[in-house]
Amino acid sequence: MIKIRLKCFSQVKYALGTNEIIFELEDETFTDDLEKLVRKKAEGKLDNVTLSTAVNKKYISKNIELVDGDEVAFIPPVQGG
Amino acid sequence: MIKVEIVGSSITPFDSNDNQKEKGAELIFNGRVRGTEHGKKIKMLEYEQYEEMAEKELRIIAQEAQNKFSIKDLLCRHRIGEVKVGETSLHVSIWSKHRKEGLEAMSFFIIELKKRVPIWKWAILENGEKIPSECKHE
Repeated sequence: MIKIRLKCFSQVKYALGTNEIIFELEDETFTDDLEKLVRKKAEGKLDNVTLSTAVNKKYISKNIELVDGDEVAFIPPVQGG
Repeated sequence: MIKVEIVGSSITPFDSNDNQKEKGAELIFNGRVRGTEHGKKIKMLEYEQYEEMAEKELRIIAQEAQNKFSIKDLLCRHRIGEVKVGETSLHVSIWSKHRKEGLEAMSFFIIELKKRVPIWKWAILENGEKIPSECKHE
């Protein structure tokens, strides 16, 4: 088992109702697997939202395997400026 | 020189000065909060950030701008938390040898910031209601 910290912002925070969730997941869980889990947990509230993925505060463009202690954020469209 | 900061209170502008002998252009951009969102009057915007990552992304984009346009300096302050209508939420100062590369770098920096830096905002209406802010990557 691995422990992952999910950070939630903006629409993801609104959809899940929290800033942060700790997941205990099977070994060999990938980022795409966690995104599916998060979307399911959001019960449709993220269906039309494009999410980028950050692992340990860095954008990633590939589906990567998560390791114990990783911090993950699924980032909705940003709005700085 | 690159300097980026995320601040939780009013933005203090970067110092200007008359002692730059090789930098012929100084560009200043202040992004300010508009009084309407979705056609409704607002009191303020509330910004949230992904702490550490937002500042890191700002620095990466500033470095890209410096490499791409050969500017001398890029200094940026982005405010988070509550920012009232009319106040500055983003302050950028660019120094370059000539105006052309400075103007191009400013445009590039702000466009990329709006695409990539993990900062979000909510509009607080005059009646206190909180709604998602308009999001345009232009």
